Amino acid sequence: MEALQLPATLDALGPIRDYVSEASKKAGLERKAAYNLKLAIDEIATNVILHGYEEAGLSGEIKISFEMNDEKIVLVLEDRGKPYDSRRHEDPSEADLELPLEERAIGGLGIFLALKGVDGFDYQSENGNNRNVFSMNRPN
Amino acid sequence: MNIALRTEGAIAVALLTGAIDGKSAPQVQIELSPTIESFEKIILDLSEVSYLSSAGLRLLLLLHRQATAKEGKITLIGLSEEIADTMSMTGFSNFFDIADSLEAGLKALN
Repeated sequence: MEALQLPATLDALGPIRDYVSEASKKAGLERKAAYNLKLAIDEIATNVILHGYEEAGLSGEIKISFEMNDEKIVLVLEDRGKPYDSRRHEDPSEADLELPLEERAIGGLGIFLALKGVDGFDYQSENGNNRNVFSMNRPN
Repeated sequence: MNIALRTEGAIAVALLTGAIDGKSAPQVQIELSPTIESFEKIILDLSEVSYLSSAGLRLLLLLHRQATAKEGKITLIGLSEEIADTMSMTGFSNFFDIADSLEAGLKALN
């Protein structure tokens, strides 16, 4: 499966999710694991597009590729927008998650859902190239 | 993303079909906003929603606020297992009225 490279706009989200679903199928991931991986990558891709590119006044491309071995599947989301390491994001506290909807802050849940749903997450930013790396263990 | 609206007596039922993501969520909000304004009781049928990201949660939160501000009520039906998981992990399921079927949703609102 070849890498997919698209202009970094919200129109890229659907094709990126389709790519992740296809890759998950090849890796034989179970339905729930496949959904969580898709959710994780979609959440981070949305942030890259909205915050890394649009809000930063930048334009460019977003690229997704995958590889796998016997143990796991690894997907890499690459961009050249403003760098942001999602691991620096503070998770909502237990108390935040119990707040009634009237008192909820809007936003902030995407990264929480993304990082909670995958087996591995890594981030690198080097020479303007940002890489969000997601991995899921394959079923035995 | 497609929205089909119908009424069951005084209750508006909106059937959403497709993926609710960062691209479609703002559009859904614009399309549903007039319904929330004109109906006191609304059922959102998510049985044809294949995917819902945090942008979808944000949408539900905004619709809920809009309804609550005018003492309206929203009930969700047709949540897939995955969407139910997302709502439960974020504490949303504790605060939304969720029913197992259209009949149960109508009954709860009536």
